[in-house]
Amino acid sequence: MTDATPLPLIERPLPGARVTWPARRAALAELEVAGWPQKRQERWRYTDLEPLRRDDFATAPPPGDAERRAAGALLARAAGTAPRLAFVDGHFCSELSSVLPAGLEALDLDARWSEFEGRWAGHVATKDHPLAALNTAFSQHGLWLRVAPGCVVDAPVHVVHVGSSRERLAAQPRLVIEVGERARITLIEQIVDAGAGSGWLNSVVQLRQAAGSHVDLYRLQRHGERQAHTSLLTADLAAEAELTAGYVDLGSRLARNDVDITLRERGARAELFGLFVPGPGQHIDNHTTIVHAAPETRSDEAFRGVIGERGHGVFNGKVVVRPKAQRIDARQSNDNLLLGEHCEIDTKPELEIYADDVKCSHGSTVGELDADQLFYLRARGIDAADAREMLTSAFAASVLERVRDAAFRQSLLDLVTARLRTLAEEPT
Amino acid sequence: MLTIENLHARVGGREILKGLTLHVPAGEVHAIMGPNGSGKSTLAQVLAGREDYEVTAGRVLYLGQDLLALPPEERARAGVFLAFQYPIEIPGVNNAYLLKAALNAQRHARGEPPIDAFEFMSLIKKKMEVVHAPKEFLNRSVNQGFSGGEKKRNEILQMLMLEPRLAVLDETDSGLDVDALRIVAHGVNSLRSPERSMLVVTHYERLLELIVPDRVHVLAGGRIVKSGDRDLARQLDQRGYDWVQTGAQA
Repeated sequence: MTDATPLPLIERPLPGARVTWPARRAALAELEVAGWPQKRQERWRYTDLEPLRRDDFATAPPPGDAERRAAGALLARAAGTAPRLAFVDGHFCSELSSVLPAGLEALDLDARWSEFEGRWAGHVATKDHPLAALNTAFSQHGLWLRVAPGCVVDAPVHVVHVGSSRERLAAQPRLVIEVGERARITLIEQIVDAGAGSGWLNSVVQLRQAAGSHVDLYRLQRHGERQAHTSLLTADLAAEAELTAGYVDLGSRLARNDVDITLRERGARAELFGLFVPGPGQHIDNHTTIVHAAPETRSDEAFRGVIGERGHGVFNGKVVVRPKAQRIDARQSNDNLLLGEHCEIDTKPELEIYADDVKCSHGSTVGELDADQLFYLRARGIDAADAREMLTSAFAASVLERVRDAAFRQSLLDLVTARLRTLAEEPT
Repeated sequence: MLTIENLHARVGGREILKGLTLHVPAGEVHAIMGPNGSGKSTLAQVLAGREDYEVTAGRVLYLGQDLLALPPEERARAGVFLAFQYPIEIPGVNNAYLLKAALNAQRHARGEPPIDAFEFMSLIKKKMEVVHAPKEFLNRSVNQGFSGGEKKRNEILQMLMLEPRLAVLDETDSGLDVDALRIVAHGVNSLRSPERSMLVVTHYERLLELIVPDRVHVLAGGRIVKSGDRDLARQLDQRGYDWVQTGAQA
């Protein structure tokens, strides 16, 4: 099927140094072949990206002095004095970033693009992730983060994306993370905006973990309410590597997160969880795929949605067990709480199992607050509104228990509680 | 303290209470006994304010005010406490947090400031000793993963903290072994006072050997069919409920 509408941004000049242009042109060609996501495609059935195509977005230029100054204050608020890597409008800014702990290397991805391409070829399937090709074409000042083998980084390293909120700009951050054998690191990705602009952040994070490495990767999305957000995380785990990935989505008008995890070698383990809280007019979609490609791999996935009045949530969790991946364990759950009368959740587990000695479980629930629990709390003197808030917070908090960093967990709990309070006060 | 007059209530279109009349003076402990399905638990739930139960006639006066006009939380803050037959599990809500919130809701209603953390901890430690509650009780989610006996002890712990004027105990003895029953009864007895009344709903007489009631009422077919002193409970234990029901119908 052809479509006369041009792909966004494509008529613009390609950014970056001339050496990266062939790669960018190739990505655009792939995007033309894959086509812009359409609602008639199963992967995009519940999330309409047509408005993003129609809107006249321009590629976000590197931040000027004003944008950097505004970002500085937000960075300090988000990361405090912790080591941090700063992106402004999708561009990595080394002068806003801090000195990294020993064993960590932050490299300029653009300068090493051909090396990156050579070593990471085929890491992202453009067919499934057309927006990743868009990112390749227009991303500038990407970051290649390397964690040396055996290196144990104790304190979390923050990756903060600040949107300057200039109108109609598309930011295209690219982050490549390579974790050496037996290395350990916690990364906290935070996404914030300086104002209420109507931009679009299209982020791609590619993670590769060598044998026996441990990564905790938490991502907190708190865009302004007019922002659009699309993200892709791909993760590839070697033997006995362990990944914990946690997604918290509170902001934006439209958010679509794709997570693709491949448990490539024996004994690799992934824990993937998320909390999404769409309020009035917000749409938040989590599309995840976990591939068990080797024996004795384990995955544990849990997403929770708290859907406010006129909010729309989507969860699609796919688990693929390849033919030789025997003795694997895969668990998945998606529980949703509906707070209003006009809210929508579309939840779908997908299992593709080609091995016979496997343990797989999945379940999804959609419900309202439990009447017995509400009455019990009220019978103890707690008024109805407080009782509802207590139960809603408890529902949301239980998935945040999985965040291992205590300080970040507490700040998430505070943010989520505040967000739920705002939802409760929205007129219906 | 509590006066119930000609109370009719139904749930799901079925009338359960059919003209129940009962008076509990201050300082007294009254037992409500009766066969399964006689309306005992309905009475307890109606007094606590469960909205699924529709009161179609009659009235309930508590300390002179119309109890049925109040939402459940206001009844609780005014000193009415229901110990649930089946305490509800609330994953993610911390037991100590609930106790503190409940206590502060009550204090707020009385115009008192919130309890300070130190005072709360010393108070709760004292009360936990009474019901032999282990330390972990505080940091667990409300009733989640509690055994039947632990849930009942948790109800009594809440009651000791909130010091109600009117306590309604709904089959608090069900599912308890002898030791747990003694602990629970000790907790209840420790609260007995001239300003406090209790309504003890039970199926069995054995609880009333430990919590000795001033009056015993037999509830059958949605009404009180017989009242007496504690000997009535013993007679029921020996002769069964058929004896009273037959007598009531005759």
